[in-house]
Amino acid sequence: MPEKTIYEEMKQKGVTRRDFLKFCGAIVGALGLTRLPTISADGAAYKGAKGFQPAQLVAQALSTKQRVPVIWLELQDCAGCSEALTRSQSPTLGNLVLSQITVEYHETLSAAAGFQVEEAKQAAMQKYAGQYVLVVEGSISPIDDGVYCTIGGRSSLDILKEAAAGAAAIIATGNCAAFGGLPKAKPNPTGAVGVWDLITDKPVINIPGCPAIPEVFTGVLAHFLVFGTLPALDSLHRPVAFYGNTVHDRCLRRPFYEAGKFAESFDDEGARQGWCLYKLGCKGPTTYNACASMKWCGGLSFPVQSGHPCLGCSEPDFWDGGGFYQGQSAPLDKPTVLAAGAALAGGAVVGVGAAALNHAQKKSHKQEPKAKE
Amino acid sequence: MNWTDVLAFARGPLFQVALLVFIAGMAYRLVRVIFLGWQVDKVPARGSKVGGAAISFLKGILIWPFVPWVKNTFKKNPVIYLAGGLFHLGLFVVLVLGTAHMLVWKSLLGFGWKTLPLPIVDWMAAVTIVAMITLFINRLINPVLKLITGPAEWANLAIVFVPMVTGYMMTHHLWFRYEALFSLHMLAVDVLLIWIPLSRISHFMFYFFSKAIHGADFGKRAVEP
Repeated sequence: MPEKTIYEEMKQKGVTRRDFLKFCGAIVGALGLTRLPTISADGAAYKGAKGFQPAQLVAQALSTKQRVPVIWLELQDCAGCSEALTRSQSPTLGNLVLSQITVEYHETLSAAAGFQVEEAKQAAMQKYAGQYVLVVEGSISPIDDGVYCTIGGRSSLDILKEAAAGAAAIIATGNCAAFGGLPKAKPNPTGAVGVWDLITDKPVINIPGCPAIPEVFTGVLAHFLVFGTLPALDSLHRPVAFYGNTVHDRCLRRPFYEAGKFAESFDDEGARQGWCLYKLGCKGPTTYNACASMKWCGGLSFPVQSGHPCLGCSEPDFWDGGGFYQGQSAPLDKPTVLAAGAALAGGAVVGVGAAALNHAQKKSHKQEPKAKE
Repeated sequence: MNWTDVLAFARGPLFQVALLVFIAGMAYRLVRVIFLGWQVDKVPARGSKVGGAAISFLKGILIWPFVPWVKNTFKKNPVIYLAGGLFHLGLFVVLVLGTAHMLVWKSLLGFGWKTLPLPIVDWMAAVTIVAMITLFINRLINPVLKLITGPAEWANLAIVFVPMVTGYMMTHHLWFRYEALFSLHMLAVDVLLIWIPLSRISHFMFYFFSKAIHGADFGKRAVEP
């Protein structure tokens, strides 16, 4: 299938040259490419002519390259990231599947089922060995021989290792695949972990979120397609272009934070006026994600704009990061009344004891000189 | 181990332990002071002890800080008097009337209160930091203070200074990532909580007792405290 270039595929489907160039522009926008990259698609130093535009670069890549084969695994997940991706606006999933990538295996989206689809996966993994992008959705349960998550009788760890072996790169989409997510929440009965905890010999890009922002996923994939390389990543392996700022930094309610105007409850005047949700538990200040700038549903809104505090879903262990509606500055653990009382009583008892000892010592000191006499 | 883990530790188990050490330590200190014994005074009272204590609090907390020029200390060394006063006022405003800190109190006590807008709290924090630097320099150059300043005094200043500065920096997103500064802030607060009962910072509690006892003493003798 991937003998034709992407542009040829699109042309065949009736996409005009003008629409193709518009599409290239959309990709440039999604990637946030404001200047030429320093590397070219084949990984060598870029030798573009002066005045060369990013959109031209994208167009060049799409008209010379074939589609990227993708294998999509769903492990301990809820299919929410897949669900979100089908609502991706720029580039849309339709465009993405039809022109840029070929999804060779996806449990939820595949028409086939059972052993037929498993066979298709095996065939794709052999055909595109070393070329395909492996997308993982959901966490992996490596403990107790992987009995807590099996597909077709095989453990999640087994399935991941097999698919990762031939992958060019791995994209862990959603908090579960990236950091363990909900399955990893205390007490973590399945011993859930993220992909990068297990796969260390392949490049792993984390796109955390619950779900991941679909445009971030398509943006990363488009970057891989255009440049043949992975985007710049932060210490948690998240693409800096999308996870470089906190939600708080880009929040439209930020001025109210600065002015000290806070909603005290979800139905008070402050909430109606759109004031800051910090007191209602917003985790925006420590959450790195593009929600506030890219927004959701085609730029319509994002949780904070809609009146709900940020949960911090792109950060590791956000389920255990304090109550969703508890202010972020509040401590995660606090002593119980009993513990505090015990500490108070304990301190007092030790104090009385020390005082008594002191007293006794003083008395014996007073008596000693008398004894000498 | 990343900053998120450090933060979870500093906000979680370490904070809990630090708070318990603080409570136990302050209880111990208070009991020890009480058991030092009370002065036996057989002279009949000439005035009200309670009245004396009340006047002592009134002057110490409500009058002197706001009408400082009647005090001899102020006339002799106004900069240090103001720096000390503003430091304590700033600390109170930031710790009690700052939104982030009120939420800590709320989670511990179960109730909250109205807070001041961030710009006001922010300016008070800046004033507090400048006041601390002033007091620090004063300790370095004042010949008398130099004689009575030991490692414990420097530790007191440093252990209060670090939470102030990290708190200010994280509010303004200065130089480091927010969660890194938040972690350092919380670690510094945990150290402070453990340090308070071991140090003279415990005057935050003993001050009120000594004010009351001195006031009662003066009141009993019908002398203006």
